[in-house]
Amino acid sequence: MSAGQTLEASPPLSRLIVRGVGWCGLGLLAVTVLLSDFIARAPAGMADPSAMLNAPSSTHPFGTDLLGRDLMSETLHGLAETGAHALFGALVAIVCGELFGAVAARLPVPLARAIRGVMGVLAAVPALLLTILLIGLTARFFAPLAAGLAAAPLAFVRAFDRVDVDSKHSEYARATGIPATTLLHRDLTYEFREMLGSVAARALAAVTIILSTASFLGFGAEPPARDLGLMIAAAKATYLAAWWTAACPAAALVILVLCARLAAGLDEGEQP
Amino acid sequence: MMESRPLLELSELTVASGGATVLDRFSLRLDPGESTIVLGETGCGKEALLRVLGGFAHKTDTVTGTLRFRGAEMRPSAWRAKPPIRIAWLANPLSQPFAPHASLADQLARVIARKLGAPLGSASEELRLALERLPGTVTPQLLDAKPGRLDPVTQAIGLLACVSAQTPDLVLADHAMADLGPGAVRMLLEMLAQERRRLGFALIYATGGLQPPARLGGRVIVMRSGRVVEEGDALRLMSGHAHAYTRTLFKALPQLSLTETRPRSSARGQPLLQVHGLMYGGKTRDGLTFELRRGAALALVGEEGSGRRALLRAVLAFEPAASGRVVFDAVDLNILSQTMASRIRRRIAFITGSDESLDPRMSLWDTVEEPLRAHLNLSGDLVAGYREAALKRVGLASLDGKRLVGRMSAFDKRRLQVARAIVSAPLLAVIDEPLRGLDAFAQTIMREVLIDFRVTQGPAFLVITSDFTVAQALAEDCMVFHEGRLIERGAIVDILKAPREEATKALIRAVTLPDLSQAGASV
Repeated sequence: MSAGQTLEASPPLSRLIVRGVGWCGLGLLAVTVLLSDFIARAPAGMADPSAMLNAPSSTHPFGTDLLGRDLMSETLHGLAETGAHALFGALVAIVCGELFGAVAARLPVPLARAIRGVMGVLAAVPALLLTILLIGLTARFFAPLAAGLAAAPLAFVRAFDRVDVDSKHSEYARATGIPATTLLHRDLTYEFREMLGSVAARALAAVTIILSTASFLGFGAEPPARDLGLMIAAAKATYLAAWWTAACPAAALVILVLCARLAAGLDEGEQP
Repeated sequence: MMESRPLLELSELTVASGGATVLDRFSLRLDPGESTIVLGETGCGKEALLRVLGGFAHKTDTVTGTLRFRGAEMRPSAWRAKPPIRIAWLANPLSQPFAPHASLADQLARVIARKLGAPLGSASEELRLALERLPGTVTPQLLDAKPGRLDPVTQAIGLLACVSAQTPDLVLADHAMADLGPGAVRMLLEMLAQERRRLGFALIYATGGLQPPARLGGRVIVMRSGRVVEEGDALRLMSGHAHAYTRTLFKALPQLSLTETRPRSSARGQPLLQVHGLMYGGKTRDGLTFELRRGAALALVGEEGSGRRALLRAVLAFEPAASGRVVFDAVDLNILSQTMASRIRRRIAFITGSDESLDPRMSLWDTVEEPLRAHLNLSGDLVAGYREAALKRVGLASLDGKRLVGRMSAFDKRRLQVARAIVSAPLLAVIDEPLRGLDAFAQTIMREVLIDFRVTQGPAFLVITSDFTVAQALAEDCMVFHEGRLIERGAIVDILKAPREEATKALIRAVTLPDLSQAGASV
């Protein structure tokens, strides 16, 4: 019996390739970070007063900064610390944003709408401002948590809106007494699980940018912490004379965010 | 005397797609004004034929053979090549051929303007004139709305007017009226036949149903697996003097029987659903009262928008009724809380012609198991046992259990709905246009699966359909609705023999094929 096949569209090959490149890049960065203590030529913060602002050379491939620290070592340590904080923040954003959004969509309609309204307002506030506000209310130590919470409203809204509570299959389920928890289980099993990779990568990119920007502006990490945003901020004084002092941590930051965005498929979050 | 040139000549046309031959050495000569019905199941090759003729062969299609329009040879694989004759395409409105955000009248006028090479204003005027010529009340003003706001029949009339305004030499119709309801199909086919007589265009109509050959007549080409099984005059093929496959195909298509005398089931069993003085919708003047007994089957018959689904929503307390009482399984649904009503609804199953009631993200097994897991605390082995038994009964046991619903065929999805209903062990099964969108053999199997479901598990059936053949196959009693009101009720066989209301007669006429019965009687 041959009847017409109704095949759902699979992700196009180009997107799969983009994601593959992104995840490979993130994997390489993770390996680099894990081996940073072995790859780095010097421990974090070790200064050599005789080698201040040295241009990139065979001795110092990324050059040295104003205090004579090897920038390659500093960038590796900074990448490790920024990456670890960003991962924690991304986890917070996923749980408080994506997961909570999927759950809230299946709550009783008035409650769901009220929560959606509040989170919609929060999502309209720039995440950086929210982060700074939360850091101000707590302490710099909580910057990764603050960045994750600040990224959560937008993730919440995306996840909430992705759940089609008025779909025909949801209507059918309600008509046959299937409880809302089963529908939530469906969303988490089939939709959230499917999208977890891109959701995590997108959250990682967002939180990395928020954290680094907050540190750059002086609201996040403070010395002697190794944070890429903080390193770029510290290079402001020497950047015009020694471009490498800012370029190296900035390049590391760009690579981390770019890989995360590629892993998310370069989209804004609707495609699995 | 010199022979006139045919409008279209196909010779040894072969289409291969994805390594499989979907159309195999197909030859056809079509003279101006001639009508040809290409009849067969989905995937028999008629879709490939039409897309090659329409000039939009898939990029994966390999097309060989000769294609001549009025003697001028064309490369059959030339994508969107402009043929030397004017070809119009009659689409099915249910295939969503329109952009959703633009006015339907504008979209139709643009098609006419492009085909005629005329300014948009002139095309709009042509559309208006074409609509005026068609019987009915569809006007350009009515069509000046987004497609989603118009019912499919209105859209179909707009499409027909658009085709007519193009004054084509050849019309290609791909299941143009499938699933629109028998009454609408009958009306639209009569309109198409009338326009064909007036404009004298040739027609190639691909279909899987009996109505087009019976109402349009002409030559019928029966296809199977890309090959022509046989061809001949519609009457001859339908009369029984035909290839075994053709006879089987026609036998599989539903037809009314005025002699069938199944015992009425309404007198059996205890009452399951009792409706007393129910006022629903805005058109009912008197409250509706009826009863459905356990194991009985009642069909709600009527055209789209006749109020059947409004009644269903009120009966099942999905929408509050103005007044009245609904008792399901000895419980008054209207006094229950949402939670309690939800518990009661576990004993109701739905099998619909819209496969959107299945979650496309779920797998085959998960879909069948979900009612068991949601409502009962059963062990994994028991759940698997029930699942396998249900899948075997609908013929899906051999499929990969992890296959996603979204990747299944319409026929498989429909049977999956039955399997899901079977494991729910419902007291009431609501069957809403269950055969919609299925080809002939799939319809036959689906009917048998549903009948088996009822016989073995004994749920009461509430069948919603606009097709008396479906009602007769699945139920013994019916209530006929028209414009939001109940106009007639009783045993189906009695209503078929002596309908009282004009609307009922129209519904019966829509599925009665006089040519077929006369031809069959003469054999």
